[in-house]
Amino acid sequence: MSVPRPTGRSRPTLLLLIAAALTLLTLQFRGFEPLDSFQRGMRDLLDPVRTVSETAARPLRSAWLGVFDYDDLRDRTERLEKELARMRGRQLSSEADRELLMRLMGEVGIDYTTLDTVVVRILGTPPGNFSSHTIEVDKGLDDGLSEGMAVVTGAGLVGRLEVVDRSRSIVRLATHPAFRVGIRLVGSQDEGLARGGGASGYLVIDAGIRPDVEVALGEVVVTSGGRSRFPADIPVGRVLDPDPDADLDREILVEPAASLEHLSFLNVVLDPRQADAGPMERG
Amino acid sequence: MTGRLRVVAILLTAMTAQVTVFEEIRINGVSVELLLMVSILSGFHGGPHRGAVVAFCAGLLQDSVTATPMGLHALVYAPLAVATSHLEVRLARSTWPFLAAGLAVAMAVGVLATMLAGGLFGLHEVDAAGLARTAVVASLMSMAVAAPTSRAVRWAVTGGLPIDVDVRGSGVESRG
Repeated sequence: MSVPRPTGRSRPTLLLLIAAALTLLTLQFRGFEPLDSFQRGMRDLLDPVRTVSETAARPLRSAWLGVFDYDDLRDRTERLEKELARMRGRQLSSEADRELLMRLMGEVGIDYTTLDTVVVRILGTPPGNFSSHTIEVDKGLDDGLSEGMAVVTGAGLVGRLEVVDRSRSIVRLATHPAFRVGIRLVGSQDEGLARGGGASGYLVIDAGIRPDVEVALGEVVVTSGGRSRFPADIPVGRVLDPDPDADLDREILVEPAASLEHLSFLNVVLDPRQADAGPMERG
Repeated sequence: MTGRLRVVAILLTAMTAQVTVFEEIRINGVSVELLLMVSILSGFHGGPHRGAVVAFCAGLLQDSVTATPMGLHALVYAPLAVATSHLEVRLARSTWPFLAAGLAVAMAVGVLATMLAGGLFGLHEVDAAGLARTAVVASLMSMAVAAPTSRAVRWAVTGGLPIDVDVRGSGVESRG
């Protein structure tokens, strides 16, 4: 190297920094509020710059998509136009979603669409390369959102708000491996706990359902309510594999009711029970 | 501008660039890891002690902008900066293609280590193929900005502060 290079005793410094990092991690996992505030403050500071950058990059991105991904762009435009029309008519679900919704509602006998909601627009994936099964939306604390609130579409549960900043939020999708939701099988009325299945794109009910309960293929699964952070009776999905031959470690596969791909707008449920989440759902 | 101010300036600039310009440029959903690159280059140019401190701060900033638990990136970046610094001793007389390849490998290792640490804390699933793909793509994309970043980091971490010159091989260490 041409430049004189500083040296130093690195081992004590490194050990100290590792200890500091582990302490911070521990504090964060224990819900130490000042750390959350610091992180939120940093993101809020950067928010105007990000907005300007996104606005500036939009024509370039459009040009890029127009040249290299025209078909996808056309499909997306058509989908957005449809969604906009539906929003104007206060009908947020697509025709396919609506069909499924009506079927589910008929079977369950409830109408969860009467819940107070805020419509949010999907901005994309959050910054960084750790954003699998999470998406960023364009509303936050200023719009009355708070962490833990359920996120739905016309078809059912999509996820929950994981991080809420002043004007943006991050949604943890129901397929995220750390996602937990209290569920109820409509047929047997058994209640259990489902988790996100990760890359499989499904949910897995792996706790609470008795091994001897008969679960039908295609049976409707809804949120259980009660001590759950989610309001009751939101459609979660349908049973894809009831795993009838399992003994104690039964894992029931559920196909999500709401398609988690090609989403553009979502509804955040403004339900006060979100602050009263049961301990098992804190993931 | 003092050395510490230079470091603050470089970190804030890298953080802003990371969440704006480089966030808009994604290949297969993967973006440039600028703060990781700053961390590695800090170890390379600034030595183990200074590199570790700068990398730790870069990790905290990365945690803030990516909404990951505070300390997660810092836990990986600081040891990586120290490791790079120690390797630099052996690479001192290497040619630039060799150094660039070393930097690319360090970047890939950094991305992998961070994602494994994230998996350990349950932030995401650990999928070997996906991790490898992300590490390689992020590393290659980051190499596109390696040259200017290297110059900027060298300017930041070698300026202002007193420099200790290690006379290697002689066992003599003079302190400034």
